[in-house]
Amino acid sequence: MRFTIKHEIRNRMRIHLAMKRMSFREADTFDYYLKNFDEIREVKVYERTADAVIVFDCDRSRVKDIVKDFSFDDIQVPERVFECSGRELSAAYYDKLVTTVVMHFAKRLVVPFDIRRIWDTAKTLGYIWRGLKTFKNGQLQVEMLDAMAITAAILTGDHNTASNVMFLLKIGDTLEEWTHKRSVDDLARRMSLNIDKVWMLTDDGEILTDSSKIACGDIVVVRMGNMIPFDGEVTSGEAMVNQASMTGESVAVHKSISSSVYAGTVVEEGEITIKVTQTEGCGRFDKIVKMIEESEKLKSSVESKAERLADRLVPYILLASGLTWVFSRNVTKAVSVLMVDYSCALKMSMPISVLSAIKEASQYDITVKGGKFLEAVAEADTIVFDKTGTLTKAKPTVVRVVAFCDESEDELLRQAACLEEHFPHSVARAVVDAAFDKGLMHDELHTNVEYIVAHGIASEIEGEKAVIGSFHFVFEDEGVVIPDNRKSIFDTLPDEYSHLYFAKNGRLAACILIEDPMREETRATVEKLRAQGFKHIVMMTGDSERTAAKIAAEAGITEYYAEVLPEDKAGYVEKVKEEGRKVIMVGDGINDSPALSASDAGIAISDGAEIARQIADITIGSDNLESIAILREISTLLMKRIKFNYRTIVGFNTALIVLGITGVMPPATSAMLHNGSTVVLGLKSMTDLLPNKAV
Amino acid sequence: MKLKGLGIFALGTLFGLEGIKVLSSKDAKKVYTHCTAGVLRAKDSVLDQVTVLQENCSDIYEEAKAINEERAKKEETAE
Repeated sequence: MRFTIKHEIRNRMRIHLAMKRMSFREADTFDYYLKNFDEIREVKVYERTADAVIVFDCDRSRVKDIVKDFSFDDIQVPERVFECSGRELSAAYYDKLVTTVVMHFAKRLVVPFDIRRIWDTAKTLGYIWRGLKTFKNGQLQVEMLDAMAITAAILTGDHNTASNVMFLLKIGDTLEEWTHKRSVDDLARRMSLNIDKVWMLTDDGEILTDSSKIACGDIVVVRMGNMIPFDGEVTSGEAMVNQASMTGESVAVHKSISSSVYAGTVVEEGEITIKVTQTEGCGRFDKIVKMIEESEKLKSSVESKAERLADRLVPYILLASGLTWVFSRNVTKAVSVLMVDYSCALKMSMPISVLSAIKEASQYDITVKGGKFLEAVAEADTIVFDKTGTLTKAKPTVVRVVAFCDESEDELLRQAACLEEHFPHSVARAVVDAAFDKGLMHDELHTNVEYIVAHGIASEIEGEKAVIGSFHFVFEDEGVVIPDNRKSIFDTLPDEYSHLYFAKNGRLAACILIEDPMREETRATVEKLRAQGFKHIVMMTGDSERTAAKIAAEAGITEYYAEVLPEDKAGYVEKVKEEGRKVIMVGDGINDSPALSASDAGIAISDGAEIARQIADITIGSDNLESIAILREISTLLMKRIKFNYRTIVGFNTALIVLGITGVMPPATSAMLHNGSTVVLGLKSMTDLLPNKAV
Repeated sequence: MKLKGLGIFALGTLFGLEGIKVLSSKDAKKVYTHCTAGVLRAKDSVLDQVTVLQENCSDIYEEAKAINEERAKKEETAE
C-alpha cells in the first residue's frame, strides 16, 4: 500500500497511509499485520488520521517494504482480534472526553448567558438528585457536598463556578469509567485468549481440538472447572453451571439433558456433553466482560475505602461553613467554604492513582480486578499458599512408576494418563506429559469419568473399576487393598516424592512417584514477603505430612498444614478472617477456588484452572512467584501515595480557605492555586510507583 | 404606544397561525439537519486536530528523548 513518511528518527517512524481515515476494523487489521513481524517492536495505529507509529529493530528499508506489501484484502485476521481490540471503546471515551472539554469552553462563546443559566440549573437538579440518593443511606457523602456547592453557586448567581465544578466532576467520572472499563477489558482479553482447546466427542472417543475448528452440530464435553466454550444444548450428563455472566445470579443452576447452556458460563460441578448450536463470533468476549462485571457487583462494594476517604471530610466542611456564617454573617464567605472543592481533587487523584498502579502491575504480568484488592494486599498480614503449582514449579514430573501388579510400568502409565487427561490439575498434567514423552499414545479406554475433586478420579477401564488419586482417596475412601506379596515394596516407597496411587478392581496396581521441584525463587520470595511484614506465611497441601514438612523446610516456611481438603483451606481462611486479620490466598487449581473466593484477595497463578482465574481477584503470570512481592510493594506504595494525596489536598485547600476567609488572598488566586494543585497531583499520581522497571 | 402594542399582538397572532407551521415545515427541518450535521462535522474536525496534535507531541517527545540518549552516549565515550 502507498504511504508517506511524516516523521522519522532512528528506529521510529510515523507513516501515513494513502487514505483519509481508517475504520476500526482496518486499523486493527493493519495493527495485526505489523505486529506479526518480529523485527517490529511496537505499533500504534491512529485510525482517525490513518497514521501509524512504528518502532523497529531493523533496517528502515525493511520497514518500508513491509508496509508497501500490505493490503487490506490479502490478509486473514482472526475474528477474535476484532472482538478483543478495545479500539472502539477507547475511541468512544476519547471522543466523549474531548467533546466535554470543547463543549464546555465553546458553550461560553456561543450560547447566550440566559440559556446557559437555564441549562446549568437543569443539570444542577441531576446532582441534587444524586446527593439525595446517597443521603437516603443515612450517610453524608461527597455527592451531597457536591450538590450543595453547586446549588449554592447557582443560588448566589455564580454560574461560572457552578458550571466549572460540574465540568470537573464530569471529567472525573468519565475518566473513572473509562479506566475501569479498560481494566475489565484487558482482563477479559487475557481470559478469552486462554480457552482455545475443547474436548470434542467423535466416534473414536474424545479428542482435544482447537476451538476454532468446532462447527455447529459438533458434540463437546465440558467438565468441572471449565468454561463452556459455545452456546449449545446438553445431550447427556448433569452439571451445576454458574451463569453469573448471563444472569448475574451467583448460585449455580442445574443442567441436564436438553437444557440450553451458554458460552462463557462455567461448569462448577459435574460433567456435560453439549451439542454446539452456535460457534465463534457469538460474543464470547462480551460475555466474559459481563461476567467479570457481575462478579464485581456480587462483591458488595466495588469502591475501595480510599475512594471514599473524601466522605470523612463532609461533616467538617459543613461545620466550617456554618461557623463562617455565624461569625462573619456573610453568606458569600460561607458559600466559598463549601465551594473549595476537596472532592474534585480527591475524585480525580484517587482513581488515577489506583488505576495507574493497576496498569503498573500489569507491566509485571499481574492483573488486578480492582483497587480494593490492592488495598487488601497492602493491609494483609497473612498469606496462604497452596503448595502444588504455586510454591513448586507449575509442572511436576513423573520420576518413576512402581508396579504392584504384573502389567508393565509403561502400560500402567498409559492407563493412568488416559484417566488423568481429563483433570485440570498440574499433577494430572505431569502424568499425561510423561506418557506422551515415552510415546505411549492411547485410545480412550475408559467409559465415564467421574470427578471427585482434590482426591482423584474414578472411572472404568475395560469393565474394571479404576481409581487414581491420593492415599486418602484410594485407600480410605475407596478401600483399595495392597497385594500381599508386594507389601514390602509399598513400605519402602521413597518419601521425598509425592505419591499418586492407581488401583484397578480394588487392588493397588501402581504407585506413580511424582517429583514436584520447588521454584528457584520460592525461598527468596518467602524471605522477601516476611521482610515486607507478613506475620503468617502458611503452606497448605493435600500431600502427606512428611512430604509437606520437607517442602516447607526447603521453602523456609514454618507454618504448614498437610493432608488438607479443599473445604479445610477455605475454613482456615474464614477462621483467620474472623480473628480480624486480612488474608491473601495464592492458588492455582480447582480445589482452592473456595479458599480463593473466601480470602480478602485471592491470587491465581495464570495457567491454572479456568475457574480459579474467574474467581480470583488478582492473576499473576505463571513463570515468577516474585510478582507477589512486587505486588505487595506496589500496593504498599499506592497506599502511601493515596495518604499523601489526601493529606496534601486537605492541608493545601484548608490553607486556601483560611487565607480566603481572612481576606489575605483574593479569590482568583486561590481558585488558580486550587486548580493548579489538583492538576499537579493528578499528574504525579500517574507516575510509576516502583523506581526501576524490570524488563 | 397603543399602536405598538397592537402591532406586537398582531405579529404574535400571525406567528401563532403561520410561524409554527414554518418552523416545523419540511424546509425548516432541512435547515436543522444541516446545522446539526455542521456541528458534528466541526466536532469531528476538532477531534482530528487533537489527534494530529497528539501525534506531533509524541514525535517531539520521542525525538527529544533520542537526542538526550545520543548526548549521554557521547559524554560517556568522551570520558
